[in-house]
Amino acid sequence: MAADLRELEEMIRSALPGAEVQVLDEGGGDHLRAIVSSAEFEGLSRIDQHRLVRAAVRSRFDDGTIHALSIQTSTP
Amino acid sequence: MAADPELKAQVEQILAENPVLLFMKGTPEAPRCGFSMRVVQVLEALGVEYGAIDVLPALQPLREVTQEISDWPTFPQLYAKGELVGGCDIVEEMLDSGELAELLGVEDTDAEIPEAERILPGGSQTSPPMQLG
Repeated sequence: MAADLRELEEMIRSALPGAEVQVLDEGGGDHLRAIVSSAEFEGLSRIDQHRLVRAAVRSRFDDGTIHALSIQTSTP
Repeated sequence: MAADPELKAQVEQILAENPVLLFMKGTPEAPRCGFSMRVVQVLEALGVEYGAIDVLPALQPLREVTQEISDWPTFPQLYAKGELVGGCDIVEEMLDSGELAELLGVEDTDAEIPEAERILPGGSQTSPPMQLG
């Protein structure tokens, strides 16, 4: 089942209000890249920034929709 | 499922003994996953000493352990002083920004990975992979 990229963007946005979010398909519909810019990342280590993004879409990992998610984070 | 407490204790001890530790698929000499290979190349480019654990022989039990220790389910994982630094994406970003050299306490030699080495990892300063189990 291919992931719904817009739905994933929405999930990340609701976890990180005000974030700029882009989710791209890097092949096959289950290897994705999320590019996220959020003020909430301020002061966090990269791994914690990535944890926030991963946690937002965890249910789609758990149900097997996503197999791999590359994450790029930044602060606005 | 909860992690095997014995394996978890073993991993915690290895983390305490190795200031820089890489959980990877395969070995530094023969990585068996492109992402693991890229992290090896970063460490080689920085010339940092590190320990490596091949997760493939015990993939699921180790995944449960690292999930408990650092709430991170995928490999590779690079640890510095017992703390998870990140996987391939973070490690490469931190190499480019110079943060990784600083964190690992090595000279930032402006390490660029030569194109050839992106395909064939070389280098001889890795310690042998550790066996778990």
